[in-house]
Amino acid sequence: MTAVIETDRLAKRYRRVIALNDCTINVPQGRISALVGPNGAGKTTLLRLLTGLAAPSAGEVDVLGGPPRQEPEFLSEVGFLAQEIPLYRALSAKDHISLGAHLNPRWDPESVRERLGALNISLDQAVGTLSAGQRSQVALALTLAKRPKVLLLDEPLAALDPLARRAFLGTLAEAASGGELTIVLSSHLIADIEQLCDHLILLASAQVQLCDDIESVLAQHRLLTGRRKDTTAIGRTHVIVRGDSTERQTSLLVRLNGPVIDPAWVVEEATLEEIVLGYMSKDNDEHSAGIVSRPSTIGGGR
Amino acid sequence: MSWFTWRLYRNQSALATGLFAVLAIVLVISGLHAAAVWHSALARCAKGACGGQIGSNLSLSNSAISTLVVATTAVPLLPGLFWGAPMVAHELETGTNQFAWTQSITRRRWFLVRTGWLLLAAAVTAGAVSALVTWWSGPSHALQSNAFLANRFDVIDIVPVGYAIFAMALGIFAGTLLRRSVPALAVTLAGFVGIRAFVAQWLRLHYMTPIFVSYKLTSNFTPPGDYLGVSQGILGLNGKPAVSNYNLPSINGVPIPAGCNPNGNPLACLAAHGYRGYMTYQPADRFWAFQGIETAIFLAIAAGLLGITFWILKRRDA
Repeated sequence: MTAVIETDRLAKRYRRVIALNDCTINVPQGRISALVGPNGAGKTTLLRLLTGLAAPSAGEVDVLGGPPRQEPEFLSEVGFLAQEIPLYRALSAKDHISLGAHLNPRWDPESVRERLGALNISLDQAVGTLSAGQRSQVALALTLAKRPKVLLLDEPLAALDPLARRAFLGTLAEAASGGELTIVLSSHLIADIEQLCDHLILLASAQVQLCDDIESVLAQHRLLTGRRKDTTAIGRTHVIVRGDSTERQTSLLVRLNGPVIDPAWVVEEATLEEIVLGYMSKDNDEHSAGIVSRPSTIGGGR
Repeated sequence: MSWFTWRLYRNQSALATGLFAVLAIVLVISGLHAAAVWHSALARCAKGACGGQIGSNLSLSNSAISTLVVATTAVPLLPGLFWGAPMVAHELETGTNQFAWTQSITRRRWFLVRTGWLLLAAAVTAGAVSALVTWWSGPSHALQSNAFLANRFDVIDIVPVGYAIFAMALGIFAGTLLRRSVPALAVTLAGFVGIRAFVAQWLRLHYMTPIFVSYKLTSNFTPPGDYLGVSQGILGLNGKPAVSNYNLPSINGVPIPAGCNPNGNPLACLAAHGYRGYMTYQPADRFWAFQGIETAIFLAIAAGLLGITFWILKRRDA
C-alpha cells in the first residue's frame, strides 16, 4: 500500500507560536481520513502544509511522491477546500466553472452541473447570494471537478445544517467510491465523519496523538472500570490515555498492549467518540494540572 | 488565466471606458473650439490686425476645462489605486487566493499574467488620456510655450504612461506587503504623490546640466520657446551666481553698493556698478529627452517594486 501523504517530524512556527510540532503521519491511498482535534490543534496548518500554501519550518512533507511544489502537474492533483469556502462572491457558479476550465488541465465541468443540478443550486446566481450550505456544495463540486488524486477539506461541515451535511457527505462518499481518491477531512463532528471515514488523524497540542485506520484504533482501545485502586500496575503494561476517579470507582481509557489480565477491571469496547474525547481531554488535564508543559498553540485554526 | 483576469475586471473596465468616453467627448469639443479660435487669431494676425502679437490673453477654452485638463494629473494614479492595491490584498482578505492558488497554475504564472494585464490596462488608460490632452494642448502650447510647466509636462506625451505603470506597481507592492486593501490604497496614494512631487519639483531640474546665461540687469531675459527655469538671480562681481531675489542687502556676502536702495528698484543702480543677471534653464530641445528620462525613472522604480513583490509572494505563506 503506497502512502499518498507522508510527513516526518513536520513543524510550523509562526513567529513565536508553534502551530504544529513533530507531526509524523502517513495516509495510504484511497483512505478517507478524519483529521480531528480541538481548536488550535494545528489542523488547518497541517492541511495548508500539505497543499503547499504554507511552507514548513522544520521536518518533511511528502504528497504524491514529493514535497508540495509550485508545478502545474502537482497542483492539478491536489484539491483543497479552505474553511472559509473562498469563492469569488460576485461571480456565479457558471463563471467559476469557466474559470476552472481555464486553469486546470483535467477539468470536468459536466460533473459540477450535474451535482449542482441535482441539489437545485442555481448556476447563474452570484455565489455570494447563495446560502452557506449551497456555497459549500458549489466549492466542493468545483474542487472535485479538478479530478484530484488527493482531496484536502478544512472543516467543510462546520457551516452546514444537518440536511446539508448529509448531502455534502453523500457527495464525498460518491466521489471516493472509486477507491482512487485519498481524502483528508478535518472536522469536529465525530458522529458525522464516522460514517464516512476509515482513517483517523488525531491532533492535540500541536502534536499527533493517533494516526491509524479507524478499525485498528477501535481495536486498540478499551474502557476499563473498577473499584477505586492504584493504576500503576495497569499503566506498566498498557498506556493510560485518560483516567477518572470518583470516591469509589476508577474508569480508564487504555491503549492496549495485549490483553487485560487483572479480573478486577471490567473491560468494554470504546466508541470512536470516547477515544477521541479521551485524547482531547487528556490534553486539557495536562494543561490545567501543569504536569506536562507543551508548546502553546494559536487560536483561529491557522 | 487571461480569461480569469478579464472576468474579474470586466465591469470595472466597462466603467473606466465609460468615464474615458465622457472625458473624450468634452475634450474633443473643447479642443476643436480652441483650434478654431487659434486659427482665426492667426488669420487675423496674418492680415496685420493684431500688431504683431497674437496676445497671451486670447481665450482658448474656459477655465473649467483647463482645470479638468490639469486634473488629468490624477489619471495615472487611478488604475494603481483601484486595481493595483487590491490585486493581492483583496484576494488575501477574502481568502480567494486559496482558491486561485490551488488551481493547476503556479503562483508565478498567476502573478505574471494578472500583473501583465493590469500594467497594460494602466498604460493604455494613461496613454489614451495623455494622447487626448496632448492634442487638446496644441493651440495653448503654440500660444504660451508652456510644455515644461509642471501642470502641462506631467499630463502630455509619454510621462503619464510611466506614472501609471509606477502607480500600478506601487499598488500591487503595497497590497502584497500590507495584505489589506485600504491601508494599501492609502500607501499607494501617499507614495505616488510624494515621489511624483519630489521628481517634478526637484529631480527633474537636474536631469541634464542646465544652460547658463548672463544678461544685463536692465534688460530682461527669457529663453526662446519652451524652457524649464532652474535658477535665476544676480551674478556677483566675483562672477559667482547668487541665487537670490534682488532685494538682499548683500550679494555673496558683499554688501550691495551704497545708494542701491534694496527697497527701491536697485537693478539700474546695480547694473551701473557692473552687476549682471543670470539664469540657468533647460531649453526647448531637451523636452523629449526629459520626457524619456522621467518615464525611464518611473519604469525602473516600477520594475524594482514588482521584483520585490514577486519575491515576497513566492516566499511567504499564502
